[in-house]
Amino acid sequence: MEIITSYLSKKQESTSLAFFRLSFGLLMTFSIIRFWLKGWIKTMYIDPSFHFTFYGFDWVKPLDEYTYLLFFICGLSAFFVAIGYKYYLSIITFFLTFTYIELMDKTTYLNHYYFVSILSFLMIFLPANSSYSVDSYLEKKSYKYSPKWCVDSIKILLFIVYFYSGIAKINYDWLIEAQPLKIWLTTGSYDLPIIGSTLMQQEWFHYFMSWGGMFYDLLIPFILLYSRTRIFGFLLVVFFHVFTVILFPIGMFPYIMIISSLIFFTSQTHQKILDFILNPLTKQIKNIKELKVINIKRKNLALNVVVIFFIIQFLFPFRYTLYPGELFWNEQGYRFSWRVMLMEKRGYTTFKIVDKENKNSFYVMNDSFLTEFQERQMSFQPDFILEYAHFLGDHYKKSGLNEIEVYADSYVALNGRMSKRFVDPNVDLLKEKRGFNNKSWILPLNEKINTF
Amino acid sequence: MSKIRLILFSIISIFIVVACTSESDEDQILIPEFDRSTILTNYAENIIIPRYADFKLSLMNLKSSVDSYVAYPMISTYDKMHNDWLDAYKKWQHIEMFNIGKAEEIMFFNTINTYPVDELRINENIVSQKNDLSNANDYSSQGLSGVDYMIHGIDDTKDKVIQKYTDDPKYGEYLKNLLSIMYTNTNEIVQDWETYKDSFIQSSGNSNSSSLNMITNDFVYYFEKGLRANKIGIPAGVYSGGNTLVSNIEAYYSSMNSFQDVSKDLATEALIASENLFLGKSSTGAVGPSLKTYLDYIYNADVNKENLSPVILSNFQEAKQAVNQLDENFIDQINNNKIKMLNAFDKLQVIVVNMKTNMLSLLSIQVDYIDADGD
Repeated sequence: MEIITSYLSKKQESTSLAFFRLSFGLLMTFSIIRFWLKGWIKTMYIDPSFHFTFYGFDWVKPLDEYTYLLFFICGLSAFFVAIGYKYYLSIITFFLTFTYIELMDKTTYLNHYYFVSILSFLMIFLPANSSYSVDSYLEKKSYKYSPKWCVDSIKILLFIVYFYSGIAKINYDWLIEAQPLKIWLTTGSYDLPIIGSTLMQQEWFHYFMSWGGMFYDLLIPFILLYSRTRIFGFLLVVFFHVFTVILFPIGMFPYIMIISSLIFFTSQTHQKILDFILNPLTKQIKNIKELKVINIKRKNLALNVVVIFFIIQFLFPFRYTLYPGELFWNEQGYRFSWRVMLMEKRGYTTFKIVDKENKNSFYVMNDSFLTEFQERQMSFQPDFILEYAHFLGDHYKKSGLNEIEVYADSYVALNGRMSKRFVDPNVDLLKEKRGFNNKSWILPLNEKINTF
Repeated sequence: MSKIRLILFSIISIFIVVACTSESDEDQILIPEFDRSTILTNYAENIIIPRYADFKLSLMNLKSSVDSYVAYPMISTYDKMHNDWLDAYKKWQHIEMFNIGKAEEIMFFNTINTYPVDELRINENIVSQKNDLSNANDYSSQGLSGVDYMIHGIDDTKDKVIQKYTDDPKYGEYLKNLLSIMYTNTNEIVQDWETYKDSFIQSSGNSNSSSLNMITNDFVYYFEKGLRANKIGIPAGVYSGGNTLVSNIEAYYSSMNSFQDVSKDLATEALIASENLFLGKSSTGAVGPSLKTYLDYIYNADVNKENLSPVILSNFQEAKQAVNQLDENFIDQINNNKIKMLNAFDKLQVIVVNMKTNMLSLLSIQVDYIDADGD
């Protein structure tokens, strides 16, 4: 108990939080602008007539043209977070709008979106505006120190992301078969100088990258944690993520991880970077009173939330153990667990509608309802298949067919294995309820991947 | 601190040892890289460009026979025109899948082979002497399918059709205009390939917009929709609750009014064209680098455990057999024994599954040009 209270009273320079707030906010502002400019708001949220929702969040829907407004508010709040203006209102707004956006359609689900969501939630409880912020300028006071646990909580979250994605790599496909890297590297970009034509298709290199990737993920939080190895660790982070940028269409994720990793550096380093960037500004500002340690309002509540948050974060990725069958095949408990780049998985799934009365049947052309992107994601993920089957059921019932059954003709290929039938073709999917119960209508893979 | 360093040191050394042993386990033979541009070169030089040249030539023939028929509407000129039409339609089966470059830009395949045609609209166009058919609503009133209606569909016998052309010059004008549009478009694409070829071959990376990804997507899309669904599935009622739609077959009027039963010929030609592309086989029978070669390379590089290319080739054999068992006239086949059509559909479906799951997966080709992030 004493250890805890003494830990909680430890303090660290506020510059670390300020630095993190600024870089995270700017990166998010940029991400939102990028998303907008690529036209994805239209193609992913406005154009599709049907959206795949997360179970329990079916009420979260795109808002037609107002979806642009939602993105605008999200981007603006990210910018306000960056400059530390009305910080608490801004970070709460950012968390809510960003999370709403991610819940609108799970087709676009990415682990790093989830990371952004939960990180912004965590930041609601951190006094990241106590220095180097517009708030502090307006209130004419800044705080030299913040509680140490605030910065540590960000480190813990990053630790979870890296370490858990390392654990997830401990499986048969990744370590013993070097899949899916074998496929991805062999067929990867040959435009890379030198290694493109020499290393990329060598089997030992696939194993080297697979094992190296696992050890990297497992060890990097520790390497960053110790001051002697920190610079080396950061160089590894940059090298690793730049490598993935070159090979894969991976979007903002590498940049988010590179910038976030800087939190492991000392407050002095953060101070230097901030001074370097903000030098012209801070020189002008003289009459801010510098106080010692910030007192977090409702500190106990904040601490309780943060502790519960981390307990959930530590346990949640293991929820897959509650389900039978191979995780990579059934994907029950796959998301929100830092399982990144583990699968080369493709599916082909079509649906047969059967009229119960006269047993007439017909197949559905998926492109009548889904975009190419949605169809691709639906074809190998069971919860998508079930949700879509129910959508089709409702659609055809509305159009006059009363008693119908919906069957899926589905094939999936995983990590270089030949494709196999995925959904039991004799199961009427309309009879299967959506939800967290085990999806017994998925045919087994009959191979052990031994996921961790 | 020293304890932690010791742990750290030992973990890193395990890492290095593992990395090195996994290296020395292997034979030290370097696997050469696969040059995707060899496929592109073979596809462009030996398949796409010559097949386009063939099609252009067949259109030239059809164009001149249409000209003489319109000038002298009689049995002899008619028969030559019909034969040239069929020849052009067969040649077309070898290029419909190449919806890339200029062809994609001008919606070429929509303007040549949209069916069923819109009879009402064609007749309106004939009466109003409409020449500009570039509007998307006119896709179903032109092309080789449009010619099918113009020479086999405006009446139900050869004599009556010829009589119509004799009585009203507007029919001839419309027919000549269809040929002129097709020829102009084809010529434009043929000329474009002269310059497009180099950039097509040079784009040998693996991005979504690289040539092999685009051409493979076009191929798979064509096979699934243009061949499997349009030629077989839709008319056989696969998508319409068992209600067959015979008027949706390709070249409907030729079969319908008993001019010549051509549906099976066209479908067979399309299936052979698809197999040829997979094999890298040109019209001379020479075989070059192809999707098959690439899959063989992947297999030989130990990326996967069962070679996919022989599987797909035997799928093609079965599909060809199933199509071969069909009646020359798909209307009769559908009306008399739908099951054989559905059987052919299933055999084509197997190829679609193998291409869309296994082939695209092993070659890391994303479905279509979806622009999105991954993680």
